[in-house]
Amino acid sequence: MLELDDVSVHHGRVEAVRHVSLGVTPGQITLVLGPNGAGKSSTLGAVAGLFAPVEGRVLLDGVPLTGVAVHRVVRAGIALVPEGRRVFAPLTVEENLRMGAYTSSAAHTQTTLAAVNEMFPILHERRRSAAGLLSGGEQQMLAFGRALMSDPTYLLLDEPSMGLAPAVVEQVVDKIGVIASTGIGVLMVEQNAEAALGIAHDVAVLSRGEIVFRGTAAEVSEHASVLHAFLGDVGGAIASDVS
Amino acid sequence: MNAFYDGHVVIIQATFVGILLALSIQVPLRLGVFSFAGAGFYGIGAYVGGNVVIRADLQAVPAIACGAVAAAAVGLVLGLVLQRLNGLYLAMATVAFDLMIGVVAVNGGEWTGGPTGLYGILTDLTLPIILVVVGVFLVAAELSERGRAHRRIEAVREDPELAASMGIRVGAYRVVGFVVSGLAGGAAGAMNVMTRTTIGPADVGFGLVILALTMIIVGGALSWKGAVAGAILFTWLPQVLTFVGEWQELVYGCVVLLAGIFLPRGLYGLWVDTRRRLAARRRPPALSEQAHQDVPQEMTS
Repeated sequence: MLELDDVSVHHGRVEAVRHVSLGVTPGQITLVLGPNGAGKSSTLGAVAGLFAPVEGRVLLDGVPLTGVAVHRVVRAGIALVPEGRRVFAPLTVEENLRMGAYTSSAAHTQTTLAAVNEMFPILHERRRSAAGLLSGGEQQMLAFGRALMSDPTYLLLDEPSMGLAPAVVEQVVDKIGVIASTGIGVLMVEQNAEAALGIAHDVAVLSRGEIVFRGTAAEVSEHASVLHAFLGDVGGAIASDVS
Repeated sequence: MNAFYDGHVVIIQATFVGILLALSIQVPLRLGVFSFAGAGFYGIGAYVGGNVVIRADLQAVPAIACGAVAAAAVGLVLGLVLQRLNGLYLAMATVAFDLMIGVVAVNGGEWTGGPTGLYGILTDLTLPIILVVVGVFLVAAELSERGRAHRRIEAVREDPELAASMGIRVGAYRVVGFVVSGLAGGAAGAMNVMTRTTIGPADVGFGLVILALTMIIVGGALSWKGAVAGAILFTWLPQVLTFVGEWQELVYGCVVLLAGIFLPRGLYGLWVDTRRRLAARRRPPALSEQAHQDVPQEMTS
């Protein structure tokens, strides 16, 4: 179990995240919804070790992870897929994947690589192309694959649907479901409620750094008006879906 | 050949020293660290090398080692102190470091010989020794451009944050960049002082930064082959340009300007592109198929 216990993150004098508590269970997807500037990325950053929380703790199976450096968090079994599907553009697809296995042994890398190639056949097909030449959806798949190469127990996804065509978003979201079904706990932050609600188990809505609503995906859909209030048009789309 | 060597021994030695100087600026740049401290390390290597020869009567190899290690030690401290700086701010801080070395050289009393510098630094330095020292650095550079090491260096340069979230200790790589820059710059400075038997503040000035940058930008910033090409070109160019007399500086400037515009990745980049183009011509069907595949998929993003 990966837990955020009363976590607050400040950027200088800006209070980005205030007293946020969340939990992620292996095999399940926890979704954090919120508009721009709600503190979603800061919340993920606090788990990944990018930002040290000023208050509260991050616990991995009960062991505090707070204040552990970024590169050590990976070794603890938590992999981050940063916003905007960042890949190492000049490296080939396979080199990008091997970068993800930086913390693993060589023998282990081969088996993980085979598993990742099986999950994302397109990455195997294009293994010799420069990562920068892939399409947006393919780059997002590559970013997922690269994170999986470290053989994580928990995966942190920062807006995986960002900047992708609706049809591609659907493929990406499907893959997230597949990843969770292998037993990996996924903590995903999104603005695009429509895309992500379908696969999520637990949902928290974040606004101005605080959790304003929490429940299962079904409950959030029922209380569509709440979503609408905090997410604007996106929530509206859900509301019209439900009604 | 022998007559040519005898007539050009100074410039041949200067070429190899130039290669190391260029490497000392290039190593941090390859890691995405905008450090120009290489010139300062060169100065430290030169003065430390000169002092241990004059005062402790050391021969060439131990004196080079002293210069390199001293500069590397300063590099370690500098790397740790400047760890949080990036981009232009880091560049400015390292340029300030180079200028400080110049000030120390002028005001160092008997240790640096003040404005007149140090004289009579005579050792058993021979071309084979220079070749071995430069060779060691070039082999290390080549190894760092292959396989795992290459991927990690690319990752740290292209996206440090992403590299860190991959488990790479980016900070450590950057500090290692400073230390290697110190080793190369220090060795270059120590060898320079021994080939010329003298060193003064004018030899360790800001001009070195310009020279080294010119070498790696025209030669190619991302491979040691670029540094070698640039060092050879800009050590021999003044020699070749003697016929234009006082216009030499102008021609030199034009060469740099044209290279900047038409060879953005340097001579090495030109060579890589040409080779790729030739290879593509040899097997046209495979490549055009690949290019065809790329276009529609890119449209979906």
